[in-house]
Amino acid sequence: MIPNRTFLAVGIVLALVIGIAAVFFASGDPDGLDSTALVVQGQKELTQPAKPDAEIDESALPGKFEYSAPFPDYTLEGGTKVTDAALLVVGTLIALILVFALGKGLKAFGRTRSS
Amino acid sequence: MHIPDSFMPITQGAVYWIIALIFIALALRWVKNELSEEKVPLVAVLAAGVFALQAFNLPVTMGTSGHLVGGALVAIVLGSPFAAIFVLSLVLIVQGVLFGDGGITVMGANIINMGVIGGFVGYYGYHGLLSVTRNIYASAACAAWLACIIPALAASVELALAGTFPLVPGMISMGIYHAVIGLIEGGITAVVLGLISSARPDILESAGGIPA
Repeated sequence: MIPNRTFLAVGIVLALVIGIAAVFFASGDPDGLDSTALVVQGQKELTQPAKPDAEIDESALPGKFEYSAPFPDYTLEGGTKVTDAALLVVGTLIALILVFALGKGLKAFGRTRSS
Repeated sequence: MHIPDSFMPITQGAVYWIIALIFIALALRWVKNELSEEKVPLVAVLAAGVFALQAFNLPVTMGTSGHLVGGALVAIVLGSPFAAIFVLSLVLIVQGVLFGDGGITVMGANIINMGVIGGFVGYYGYHGLLSVTRNIYASAACAAWLACIIPALAASVELALAGTFPLVPGMISMGIYHAVIGLIEGGITAVVLGLISSARPDILESAGGIPA
């Protein structure tokens, strides 16, 4: 059986490798939700690829709230594939640290309450 | 499956946020009272893996791509649907706030679909199938497939209520695409379980994932 620290380290490395690989090898096709939006707006046949110029008509959508994320679509404006990969690494590490910190904090809070 | 802000009115997004917050509170209570402290690093690594895998869209034919959602995987490995709600909620917050992947006002709906529905369907689907098949990998793959397509159908109903998709065409399209995307979900879930089972079988045993 692999020691705990090694197991977790391998898991983190695998996550980072997958994140970096995603920048170079992920498909640029619309996902299932966007494909469905294109289908119901008549811009895509269900089983066929969308035309290159097909776009979701935002004016026909009901949501009016707008939020500008600092790194939309996991990219930096004017950046390169390398900066995109760095963003994926940072995002993966933020998810890791956030869950770890909140988990540890909640466990510590639970101990304080029970003592 | 990450619904953006433009797909839903703010008022409807607020309703899903309220429902999601109830489940988030239950998930935080699960972490505080039920999760063993030694597993906190494992939960964090699973969150990192889910974040990375969700960024990796694979082509699924029909000019469409899809990625792992991860609700079933997390729930099965950690032995609770609340684990999926905890992990997916935090992953969705990072994705939405920093990367614009999924909206802010609709984040409650995304948490309900991928975390709550994905986690519960994945966990109970897995244990139900496991009691019949006695095969952890087949059960996990099928449960993960269900945990992909059922949240997608839920999203299509939510978006029909929002007036974004017509109900039946939306459900047909979301159902067909996610039936294929679910094959990725099932395959990756089974492979990761296999890796964990061979490296650290104690993790799945303690989560009740391997039949005695």
